[in-house]
Amino acid sequence: MISGPFHTLQATARMRPCKVFRPNRAKTFHVKRIGTISPWNRTNFPNLSAKAVAPQASPCYERPTYLELSRQILSFVDPRADAVIAHLTRAGYARVEPPILQPASIFFDSGEDLRAQLYLTSDLSGADYCLRPEYTIPVLAAYLAGPSAGQRAAFCYCGPVFRFRPGKTSESTQAGVENFGRPDIEAADAEILALALDAAAAATPRSMLPSSLTVRIGDAGLFSKLLEALDLPPQWRRRIARGHSQGKTLDEILSLGVNGTDHSGVLGVLEGADKQGARALVEDLLSIAGIAPAGGRTPGEIADRFLEQAALKTGSGFSKEKRVIIEEFFKIEGDPRDASVRLRALAARATLDLSAVLDSFDTRLGLIAGQGRDPAKLHFSARFTRNLDYYTGFVFEAFAPGGAELPAVGGGRYDGLPHALGAKTQIPAIGAAIWIDRLDESGRQP
Amino acid sequence: MNSPLVLAVPSKGRLQENAAAFFARAGLDIAQGRGARDYRGRLAGLDNVEIAFLSAADIVAQLASGHAHLGVTGEDLIRETLADAESKVELLAPLGFGQAHVVVAVPRAWIDVKTMADLEDVAAAFRVRRGERMRVATKYVHLTRRFFAERHVSDYRIVESLGATEGAPAAGQAELIVDITTTGATLAANSLKILDDGTILRSQANLTASLRADWSFGQRELARVILSRIAAEEEARTTREVSAVLSHVTEPVIAEAKAGFNARIRFHGSDGRLNLNCPKDKAAPLADWLIAQGATHVCVAAQDYVFSAENPLFERLIARLPNPQDQNS
Repeated sequence: MISGPFHTLQATARMRPCKVFRPNRAKTFHVKRIGTISPWNRTNFPNLSAKAVAPQASPCYERPTYLELSRQILSFVDPRADAVIAHLTRAGYARVEPPILQPASIFFDSGEDLRAQLYLTSDLSGADYCLRPEYTIPVLAAYLAGPSAGQRAAFCYCGPVFRFRPGKTSESTQAGVENFGRPDIEAADAEILALALDAAAAATPRSMLPSSLTVRIGDAGLFSKLLEALDLPPQWRRRIARGHSQGKTLDEILSLGVNGTDHSGVLGVLEGADKQGARALVEDLLSIAGIAPAGGRTPGEIADRFLEQAALKTGSGFSKEKRVIIEEFFKIEGDPRDASVRLRALAARATLDLSAVLDSFDTRLGLIAGQGRDPAKLHFSARFTRNLDYYTGFVFEAFAPGGAELPAVGGGRYDGLPHALGAKTQIPAIGAAIWIDRLDESGRQP
Repeated sequence: MNSPLVLAVPSKGRLQENAAAFFARAGLDIAQGRGARDYRGRLAGLDNVEIAFLSAADIVAQLASGHAHLGVTGEDLIRETLADAESKVELLAPLGFGQAHVVVAVPRAWIDVKTMADLEDVAAAFRVRRGERMRVATKYVHLTRRFFAERHVSDYRIVESLGATEGAPAAGQAELIVDITTTGATLAANSLKILDDGTILRSQANLTASLRADWSFGQRELARVILSRIAAEEEARTTREVSAVLSHVTEPVIAEAKAGFNARIRFHGSDGRLNLNCPKDKAAPLADWLIAQGATHVCVAAQDYVFSAENPLFERLIARLPNPQDQNS
């Protein structure tokens, strides 16, 4: 077993050089990888359990330069990747490189969208592995499995990630940072934003000014706090958050039809019924129909949903005023300092107590300014939350100039993930990814 | 120069019998080689056509890779196995057998779930409550992902199941399934019900052409012959020949026959003779109407083959193939 915190490990590891050249069958010539591989890299995965599987080893090679000659890239070493990782390590972030071959199951809980992009393989024992599709989960899992779990830790990485994307190359270079266990939330938020943007700038060609990245910021926590303060029933909060993630408008979310079948008959019977009564009714219905209550959901759960539907149908707990507040909230965007003022005004008008989350918002802005970034140059949008399933607070994305579709930098706070991966305590977590291939749009395909 | 045209047909079961019957109806008898266990055969009367007897999954693979030119296989397998089916194969004609629907089925006990929107809602609640995603047992991994994504269902996890999928919910291996069904009887026997809008694909056996195969002039000519016989049989089977003598065939009569009865005019003479071809179910109404127009007798006849100068099946294939000249370069 490995003991001691990651960075110690890395410092004492004896690296063994290893070069692999493999010609491709096609006309193009691939140089797969040049790097140094540590002995730990070859350690097998310990007993895998369904949840929170941690790869045993963390650092694996010192210089994971990803090379591709197939598109007439002339350099063996992508200087941009080198520049990014140099910047991140100088900032005190310990370099870690989880194995490229990861137990596949640790990514399954991220949903079928990601799963569909995995390059899967299995060994003779039947264990399933995949090529690393991203870094956050392996790095976090290794951190949680290690002795420094729960303590402050900051990691950086840079290497290839593999995802199936029709018509595009499956391998791309991703750099990034993860910062765990910091209680000073806003300072960590500001630091990660500045660090990620500076690292990206360090790798951007001199002809392009660092400020040419367009940055937008948002706050997933602000949105969930608003829904909480509006005192909406949990099912409404879930539905609105979910619908928002799916890109639906509030109108679409609020029409009952899109939320499922209109069971007016049953709902009429259930109106005003309590949980016990509803449950008894569902059990009766099932037994009259001769259906065994099987299949993962209990009669109690089915009854609960009928009650929810009944409540939604009568519109209880969701007034027109609350709807207007959400609509106004979504409209707020622009200079983040103006936005803050408008958000406070909206909260005051609606007599909602959002002071804690707005204070945090302002503190963060101040700290971002303290990092040498002009907040006026950040574009805030209340609608912008990235993936609400994952992000819980500050979020940001930065785009290369020239109307890039995909962000070159993206990050945010994901305080829920450590717990989902098995952490016993609440561990604050924030990170950012830098997609090296998207840093300049000068012809190289991401 | 004389490389054969490869026609892939199912090697066993109902699908094989149906496919053989289909080609036989078109006058294309499949001659098995030296016996039932030989996996290569010929088409009687057509030299240079090679029949490959393959499993359904292999037929899709051979069409996609271009090792077979034509094949008989289920649309479900094509849509499931080929990521970009449109660029690899062309579905020329549904064959009317091997019908199976790929459907989303949930336990009947879920009396509150009737639509995909219900499922989306329930799946999200399930995840919040249990901290795990709802499991979907299926062998149609890609069809499921695509269909669920279109309907915004994201809180689920696929459990691959290669057989007896209907039993997965009862066995506790999954909460719901995506599977094929013909009558729904097996689903009902396992206390499962199909969601109202949960039909992912209405599949049946299709005559399918490979777009990746080597299509030389010789092979195109063989495909034309085969497809024209198939088209002639299909046209004959689905239509009736209707002939009558009117005092006088006018333009409005012809127009009405076309518009009202979907008829195709084969011949009309100045002496009032009229010969039409119309869909089977329109034959009797058309005959009635012709009598009302003054015909004394109307003959309706079934036909063996209706060959036409037009060959829509072949034209569809040719439209998707590159020019033979281009191919040589």
